[in-house]
Amino acid sequence: MKTFLKWAFLVALAAFFIVPLLAMARFAFQSVPVILLTPETALQGWSIDPIIAAAQEPQMWAASRTSVLLAAFTILLTLLLLIPLAIVTEIKAPHLRPLLTALTLLPWVVPPIALVVGVAVTFRTGAPWFLASVFSLVPFYALWAMPFTYRALDAGLQAINARTLYEAARSMGAPFATIVMRVILPNMTASIVAAAALTTALVLGEFAFASLLLKETLPTFMVNFQQSQARAGLALALVVLLLTAVAISVVVRALRRRGLSVQTTGL
Amino acid sequence: MKRIHPDTRIGLLVALPFVAFISLFLLYPTVAIVFSAFTPGGDYSVAGLGRALSGSYRQGFINSTALAGTTAVIGGIIGLTLAAVMRTLQRPRWLHSTLDSWSAVASQLGGVPLAFAFIAAIGTQGLLTKLFNQVGININDFGVSPTGFWGLVVVYLYFQIPLMFLVSLPALNGLRPTWREAAALMGASGARYWLRVGIPILTPAALGGMLLLFVNSFAAYATAYVLNPGGALVPLQIRFLLQGNVISGEEDLGYAIVTWVITLLLASLFLLTFLQRRTLRWTRS
Amino acid sequence: MASVDMQNIRKAFGPSVALEDFSIDIRSGELVCLLGPSGCGKTTALRILAGFERADSGDVSVDRKDITKVAVEKRNFSMVFQDYSLFPNMTARGNINFALKSRKVHAGERASIIDRMLAVTSLEDQADKFPHQMSGGQKQRVALARAIATSPRVLLLDEPLSALDAKVRESLREEIRRLQREIGVTTVFVTHDQHEALAIADRVGVMSNGRLEQIATPRELYETPVNSFVATFIGSINKVPAIGTSDGKWECWGSVLTGSRSSTPGESVVVGVRPEDIRVKREVNGPASLTDVSFLGPITRVSIRLDRGETVVVDLMSAECGDLRPEQAVRLSLRPEVHRVVVF
Repeated sequence: MKTFLKWAFLVALAAFFIVPLLAMARFAFQSVPVILLTPETALQGWSIDPIIAAAQEPQMWAASRTSVLLAAFTILLTLLLLIPLAIVTEIKAPHLRPLLTALTLLPWVVPPIALVVGVAVTFRTGAPWFLASVFSLVPFYALWAMPFTYRALDAGLQAINARTLYEAARSMGAPFATIVMRVILPNMTASIVAAAALTTALVLGEFAFASLLLKETLPTFMVNFQQSQARAGLALALVVLLLTAVAISVVVRALRRRGLSVQTTGL
Repeated sequence: MKRIHPDTRIGLLVALPFVAFISLFLLYPTVAIVFSAFTPGGDYSVAGLGRALSGSYRQGFINSTALAGTTAVIGGIIGLTLAAVMRTLQRPRWLHSTLDSWSAVASQLGGVPLAFAFIAAIGTQGLLTKLFNQVGININDFGVSPTGFWGLVVVYLYFQIPLMFLVSLPALNGLRPTWREAAALMGASGARYWLRVGIPILTPAALGGMLLLFVNSFAAYATAYVLNPGGALVPLQIRFLLQGNVISGEEDLGYAIVTWVITLLLASLFLLTFLQRRTLRWTRS
Repeated sequence: MASVDMQNIRKAFGPSVALEDFSIDIRSGELVCLLGPSGCGKTTALRILAGFERADSGDVSVDRKDITKVAVEKRNFSMVFQDYSLFPNMTARGNINFALKSRKVHAGERASIIDRMLAVTSLEDQADKFPHQMSGGQKQRVALARAIATSPRVLLLDEPLSALDAKVRESLREEIRRLQREIGVTTVFVTHDQHEALAIADRVGVMSNGRLEQIATPRELYETPVNSFVATFIGSINKVPAIGTSDGKWECWGSVLTGSRSSTPGESVVVGVRPEDIRVKREVNGPASLTDVSFLGPITRVSIRLDRGETVVVDLMSAECGDLRPEQAVRLSLRPEVHRVVVF
């Protein structure tokens, strides 16, 4: 009985997670309106034309290119800012770790929809040239990714006992830069990959900031596109969702094989 | 000339860019908002802050808090239960790795695609709406539509449950088997163990997880916007004021609302950090 | 107070056998240590006794009553764990109170029992502290107080001192021994540390590969180990050549000894001899030579190379060993008190 309840619970949850995706797939790839859906018509009208229609949209490729570049630059900025900080804190000033953990949580206090108001007060009036380029989004995306990325990097440093590694290498006479480049960084690849994956997922999904600053990224394109071509829009969204899901799963599994779990939330 | 210790130099070298980055892109805009909120029209006044909590904006805060609170509690309970159930199931193995990966994915899914999925499922033309109609139930009557309160709750649960699952796992793993064994040897029943030991130890972590869920859904914008751009939720009201299609002077109201949001989230995260400390202290000693 | 009897226990986890034909008989009020390398099955034996694991076959009885099927909660045992297992949300007093309340001790009695327990473990000033505010040694004393507060029939200790540092370990070891004597509770103590076992136990059971190799008093175990495993596991021992005599005994350095098995005439073996059972005499052109001398305070440890190249270690009383230096030629013999040896 107990086992039955457990499995009933798991099956119900699985249905909750899968059914909306199935409904989305049906709407996107089957041209039969839901009103006319009967057992007889259930197999009719399926085609992959909607996704082809989306793929033929040149703006889609432009928006995707923008989003991918944004992700790449955000990862670069995040890693440049946080890797040196995390390493130096861990090996030189470990007592400051709690402070840094708290500081990196701050971006959650000011969510995109709130910060965009502040940006309007400051940058839009004071330095409008800064917001002209779509890449002005990069620092803000790096900001919201920070709670995840810092924790992923910090967890990586803890997992390899970076301080002990540093002291061991130090006792052999290696200079600081050599230790970081040859000993610590190579052992951190797993957490760097995790940080990059989380950042990518965040950038590919962020809508509020891009939309309110009138930048065309993949999410803002999807909303506009869906309003003109409903089915192609849903097909595109489904494909993007599945690609993101597959990419994150691959990263999670790769990390698992190395014995690391991804605390995506950083708690 | 005074020499700077090399450690200090390295410390400054890595800390300064970080501090500059946070100051310029986070603190400067935030302080500007809060400052503007206290000086509507140029003079110091708290009138704006008062107005931000009255009329339709008060309703926005009530709706947003209710939505965030409801999804945090329901999502928290289901997510915690899921983690507890999975802990008792040794096999199948594939289920564990699949669920871990899926949760990492789904907890990030709040956004445009998720909103589309639920329009296709519970919208007026939705598959589930149609299926339930076949058996004579109109789910919209229960507020379950993409624009209704319970519809939004259902949509948000899609990312809240996996998020809670992920944050509950470490807490549940922090429950030591020897606690249960020690209690059993003392003659304590399973119920007594859970009531006096298990649940009290889990409570800070569970509350912390729910607070995180609260913050997460209070700030969520994309899903709500796609489902119902005119909804009376705080993030949507901020957008409305920001886009400037209202009479001049109303942006001061936007600053006031954002100031309240920041205050609320800051308080939640303070409480969250406090609860986490307690959890760590208990599970480590 | 109760006697414990485990008979022919077998327990396997999948393909790996944790216990095989394990039998032990513990007298009422006795303190028995189960000693062995990690993975030898000692913890499994303890967990079967506690009721956390069920044996595949065999019986467990307490006071001659079979308890194999009695639930953990009903056995009235107590256990102290390596990780202390104090409930982190309760103070020292709260932890003990939880145990008493679980055993349905009347509210009026609880306070006085708690005070007495805190007093015997010298924890009065820790009564209202939480586990995270205490040191490891204090936590383990609270765990001990909590375990004995309910007057259990049997007290089980699973590596209780392994997480503590050396000094605390030693003082707490003495404290456990003193308390155990005072209340006379039948106690099973699992450890991998032979010094701990020898110091504390009435009898020590040496285990390896899921079997009980020997159970005896510490002294018997050291002086008359039944086999080579016990001999090498407890203390240090030399492997010395010996020859079988016509009456089934063994001859070694001129002494005739009884072995752990009898000999056939002329059979050549090695036997185990403790470092302190060898006597060293300087002799010009003697068959062995000193290679190393280290002064260790009350004793002096010397290494000696035998004629065939093996090395033996000998412990001599510093006061009696005179002027020994490396490269000296010596002759070895056994102390006359030695009559029995282990044959490898």
